Amino acid sequence: MSDVHQESGGDNFDLSQFYQIFFEEAGENLDLMEQMLLNMDLVTANDEDLNGIFRCAHSVKGGAATFGFSDVAELTHQMESLLDKLRRHELDPNSAMVDVLLESADISRILLARHQTSDTSDPPSTVDLVRRISELAAGGGVPAALAPAAPAPIASAPVVEPAPVVAAPAPVASTVAAPAPAAASGQRVLEVRMGPLDRPELADGIKDLFRDITGLGEISELPSQQADYRLFKVVTTSSDDDLLDLFVFHVAREQVHIQPMGGAVAATPAAAPAPVISPVAATPAASAPPAVVAAAAPVKPAAPATFGFFDGAPGAPGSDGAPKEVSSSASKAAARPAAASAAAVQPEAATIRVAISKVDQLINLVGELVITQAMLAQYSQTLDPTQNQQLLAGLADLSRNTRDLQESVMSIRMIPMSIVFNRFPRMLRDLASKLGKKVDFVTLGEATELDKGLVEKITDPLTHLVRNSCDHGIEMPADRLSKGKTETGTITLSAAHQGGSIVIEVRDDGRGLSRDKIMNKARERGIEVYDQMTDGEVWQLIFAPGFSTAEVVTDVSGRGVGMDVVKKNIAALNGSVEIESSEGFGMRVSVRLPLTLAIMDGMSVGVGDEVYILPLSAVVESFQVKGDALSTVGQGSQLVKVRDEYMPVIELEKVFQVPRYNRDQDSDIMVVIEAEGSRVALLVDELLGQQQVVVKNLEANYRKVPNVSGATILGDGKVALILDTSALVRRSRH
Amino acid sequence: MPVILAVDDSPSMRKMVSFTLTGAGYQVVEAVDGQDAFEKAQTQSFDLVLTDQNMPRLDGLGLTRKLREQDQFKQVPILMLTTESSDLMKQAGRAAGATGWLVKPFDPARLLDVIKKVIK
Repeated sequence: MSDVHQESGGDNFDLSQFYQIFFEEAGENLDLMEQMLLNMDLVTANDEDLNGIFRCAHSVKGGAATFGFSDVAELTHQMESLLDKLRRHELDPNSAMVDVLLESADISRILLARHQTSDTSDPPSTVDLVRRISELAAGGGVPAALAPAAPAPIASAPVVEPAPVVAAPAPVASTVAAPAPAAASGQRVLEVRMGPLDRPELADGIKDLFRDITGLGEISELPSQQADYRLFKVVTTSSDDDLLDLFVFHVAREQVHIQPMGGAVAATPAAAPAPVISPVAATPAASAPPAVVAAAAPVKPAAPATFGFFDGAPGAPGSDGAPKEVSSSASKAAARPAAASAAAVQPEAATIRVAISKVDQLINLVGELVITQAMLAQYSQTLDPTQNQQLLAGLADLSRNTRDLQESVMSIRMIPMSIVFNRFPRMLRDLASKLGKKVDFVTLGEATELDKGLVEKITDPLTHLVRNSCDHGIEMPADRLSKGKTETGTITLSAAHQGGSIVIEVRDDGRGLSRDKIMNKARERGIEVYDQMTDGEVWQLIFAPGFSTAEVVTDVSGRGVGMDVVKKNIAALNGSVEIESSEGFGMRVSVRLPLTLAIMDGMSVGVGDEVYILPLSAVVESFQVKGDALSTVGQGSQLVKVRDEYMPVIELEKVFQVPRYNRDQDSDIMVVIEAEGSRVALLVDELLGQQQVVVKNLEANYRKVPNVSGATILGDGKVALILDTSALVRRSRH
Repeated sequence: MPVILAVDDSPSMRKMVSFTLTGAGYQVVEAVDGQDAFEKAQTQSFDLVLTDQNMPRLDGLGLTRKLREQDQFKQVPILMLTTESSDLMKQAGRAAGATGWLVKPFDPARLLDVIKKVIK
């Protein structure tokens, strides 16, 4: 590795201790950049967005170069160069640029991950990306050979990629006219517009710059149509980049608009026939020979100095052999009041980062507190209210405070759905372009909060649903037009709280489900269907394992794995899935989930001396069974007849081998539960009540127990097992 | 013990600069951008300001200009730590009132060398 600090030799600084911070920071910057790129409207892209995206790439590059990750530094350097031209409006953003920047961000992540894990396998090639970025960066504005990107701040770091790019003649799009006239001399004629200005006379200061700084070029003022604008004609060899850096002494950067004289499109005759871009433009900065551009660019030393002091500047050492920089004429600019460049002050985010384990510990402790409080409440019921008035009042306060505390603590784990939603625009963009479809993606209720654990688990099922909508739901643009729809389909992802649940919907305006196709497919697969089935029942068929009505199996979805897995995963979170569809008009899949996995509404039932908890969401009904409603079928299995429907019976005392001391007592209460689309009746001794229970993971604290999904502690301190309804239903099928 | 104000929006760069300088016996105050640095400079005096250029809210040039407007910072060395190494960029730095510049990426030893030249 070519750690920069090794070059200097002799020092014993270990930079590796900062790697982890850098990896996290770079990851955040790349994520932010991706998000901003996706949100950017190509037509109305504003300076703030473009500057923000630029800064992300810039930061990653700076860190990567410092810590010696030269492959990342090289790639992000290229990205930065392109972004720099965008933010300076030397180029207009287009979707090809967004594409290549997104891909580059992906590759940067991979490269960073390799450094992080010390992966020694072959790194992904960046040659093609670097070439594409260079081409796009050269596609307009100044000829790239003259661009400020050429001085290579990372030149000292050897480039990991061998640079075949140099040899590749850049196939620059010849349709793009390089607007620079007299390219041979590197001189450009620019129109510089400044405004709107409160005090337009401030802008006149830039004329002094051209007089004072030798070699900067010529400037002449042009009549401006608007009173608060100033218009100048500038002939210079300097890049827009450098000009802007000088102009900011007089006017704010946002107020400066630089474009080639005669408008962005027009090219002077000298430039039009000449596709000026030389192969050098595509050369990685590290190997760019400065000599090639020396004639045109500001003179650069062959080995650029890495630091310097300004003569006579405050605190500058008297003589230190460092290169003397800068003609003194520029100091005139300093005397002038700098124009207001006050960026809007953003409030700092008032957040702290805390390890999840600490939050979980807090939740556990509150869980214990809730149990203790419940226990006290239970015992206090036996106390005489007249004699213990104050104690009881205190306990009532404790109960309320405990509940508030519990809610507050749970809310720490709540994170907004935007965390999940944010990954979809990118995915859909890639997917739609792969499929040749046009899709608008709309999200609603991104601020809706959900438990972090649930957010992580819901991401995959949602991804599947969104992919399905794009792949199977939305039609090809031509099909849509022929059906009288707009060419562009819409996929809407929304989240909202409803009672104690969150409802997440994936909606599209595509072709919807076809009842006939599903019925036919079901028959083919030997699934029992009948014509009287309601639409709702028919739609449920697509959740059958291996079921797919896609006519063509694509590499996106449609291999028939999916909807059953989606339903299973959601059921595992105590959630449910519903489908509404209208053929030709689209469909809607609603996923309903509890807000948290840590607390659950449960129904407690007694079997012998044991207490078990059933998730209330799974309980359908309960009733007392009469002897003749039970019938025994082969191998001792029992069925119960409920309203002319037979369902399997599970005797909990047999499942858990509950010892029964009183032989006379026989269970005669049935609780019907529903899971995975089937119902079973559980035989229990008594119904004890409904309550909120704090779910404890049995697997983590003990071991996995069949038919049990967790445990909880009851008000009296006893442990009760929470039943795994899905497992019980599956058990009844065998 | 000389006190240095280290300004960079990148946490890893900040940490590295801070570690390097504290290891060499300097006291370091970190700032996350120009604005933050300017605010910290109102409550404390520094023997040196070491600032990045490209930062949100207020960039290095802007910070330098604002500090130089204040009497207590007229003579304090301000070093620009920057990837921008073009001549005109340096002119801009000088015009803003910076003492000198140091091109990123740099290694800790070179940073200390440069700092030793301006700080006693």
